[in-house]
Amino acid sequence: MALERGAGQGTATRMVAALVPVLCGLVCAFVANIPVSLTGGEVPPPLLALVPVYFWCLVRPDLMTPAATFAIGVMEDVLSGGPPGVRTLSFVLTYALVARQRDSFASLSGLAAVLGFASAAAFCCAVAWATVAVLNWRLPPVSPNVGELAMTVLFYVPTALLVGWLHHRLVGPLRSDI
Amino acid sequence: MSGLGELRNHGISEAADPRHEMANAWKIARKSNAQLPLVIVIALALVLVLLGKAQSGLFDQARIKVTDWLAPGLEVARAPARGFDRWLGSVTEIFSVYEENLRLKEENARLRQWRNVAIVMQNRVGRYQSLLHAVPDPKLNTVLARVIGRSSRPFVRTLILDAGTRNHTGPGEAVVDSRGMIGRIYLSGRRTSWVILLTDPNSRIPVTVATSAGDGGAVQAIMSGDNSPQPTLDLVSRTARLHAGDQVVTSGDGGLLPHGLPIGTVVAGSSGGWRVALLADAASTQDVEILKYSEPPEKLPPQAELPAEAAGLKPLAPPLQTRTEPPPVPETAPADALASRQQTPRPQPPDRGTE
Repeated sequence: MALERGAGQGTATRMVAALVPVLCGLVCAFVANIPVSLTGGEVPPPLLALVPVYFWCLVRPDLMTPAATFAIGVMEDVLSGGPPGVRTLSFVLTYALVARQRDSFASLSGLAAVLGFASAAAFCCAVAWATVAVLNWRLPPVSPNVGELAMTVLFYVPTALLVGWLHHRLVGPLRSDI
Repeated sequence: MSGLGELRNHGISEAADPRHEMANAWKIARKSNAQLPLVIVIALALVLVLLGKAQSGLFDQARIKVTDWLAPGLEVARAPARGFDRWLGSVTEIFSVYEENLRLKEENARLRQWRNVAIVMQNRVGRYQSLLHAVPDPKLNTVLARVIGRSSRPFVRTLILDAGTRNHTGPGEAVVDSRGMIGRIYLSGRRTSWVILLTDPNSRIPVTVATSAGDGGAVQAIMSGDNSPQPTLDLVSRTARLHAGDQVVTSGDGGLLPHGLPIGTVVAGSSGGWRVALLADAASTQDVEILKYSEPPEKLPPQAELPAEAAGLKPLAPPLQTRTEPPPVPETAPADALASRQQTPRPQPPDRGTE
């Protein structure tokens, strides 16, 4: 009886833990798109939601699935107010890139890891820029995208530390169960 | 800090060998044939982009509902954000206070001269208007609103106001501050509204440029935002000449915006062409007015003046010199009456011009 109860609790805990990456991505999208700017709107907010996508795509791709990335992208699209679907497409394509080059990205550490994320974020921003250019049939300015990329890379280290801590506390201990 | 580096940094290596864990995770991904859903999800994302381009109403409804829900929190967060913004501004400006003070004194003296000129001109215009019995401009109803949010994304630059449909505001209405036009509302929820700024890449409004040279005429143009602080000017006429410092106001073409709202002045673009230095500063403005403008519907001319051919009707017959009354229809059977009507020419309506 006690064993069955323990097994049930373990399943529930695993389910909650499996939702952590998606929830973390959604929360990051929400936080980054709160329309309060401390700089009068001069500096674009970072793409915080890309950090959990990148992190768990490398560490636990079974929890950060393409469908989860799609959901996070839709959330980013809805909250950011930009052209619908652009962020979703850029997130999903970035996920595909990172998943395809997982060996290369996962072997990086320290400053190289930051540069690895920066390249993925640059790809994400470039896809969004190209999509908007095709949709509007004219080239959008590049400088706001560069600003967004810089802010995203700047916020990567603290966000990755937080995401890594969450992974360690909530997801990591259950890795051996799967 | 990614991949194995992060795993080591956060102590996961203590629980298990990270290389083994990573290899385990990769096996899971490869075993579940992850490539197939990825292709499907990419296709779905492409469909979403096209759907959003064709019909963005669903996204807009979701956005405005989230903003309405966030409104109380945004109003609370407004004060500390404003305080931090002021503090940041004071830190950056403290080193240029002396030069700024000198510049403002000089500008103040110059503006005092212009103020006297403006008063004289205003009196003169008033006299001319009374002489010509000019119809005064209609007064616009306004709704005062506060800025409770700002978003400055690469593809959209917006403000969020604390006035919505419950304040009788709606999409398309112009938003101005004390200096000039800022943008116009493009989404209205019950408690909040989203403002598309003049600098947004999706903003295009018809403007009139009052040229200072030559005969002082007006040049029509389209002002387009491109996410830079100064929107571009696309002139309707290729022969028109502009000069730096010319005034730019709304033209009112299309009936969406009132005529004559001040926007800014013409400046030369760094890469050629003309741009507009905006009077209003959307980054610092806190209180704005929403102009409730609706162009009165155009009155139809009298029916007699309408060209019948333009409406696809048969042309009216010329006025008859001698008018003959139609013969009275005899009281016969319905079939006979119908036959007699078909044979009788239909009487033409009287010509109002001859009456």
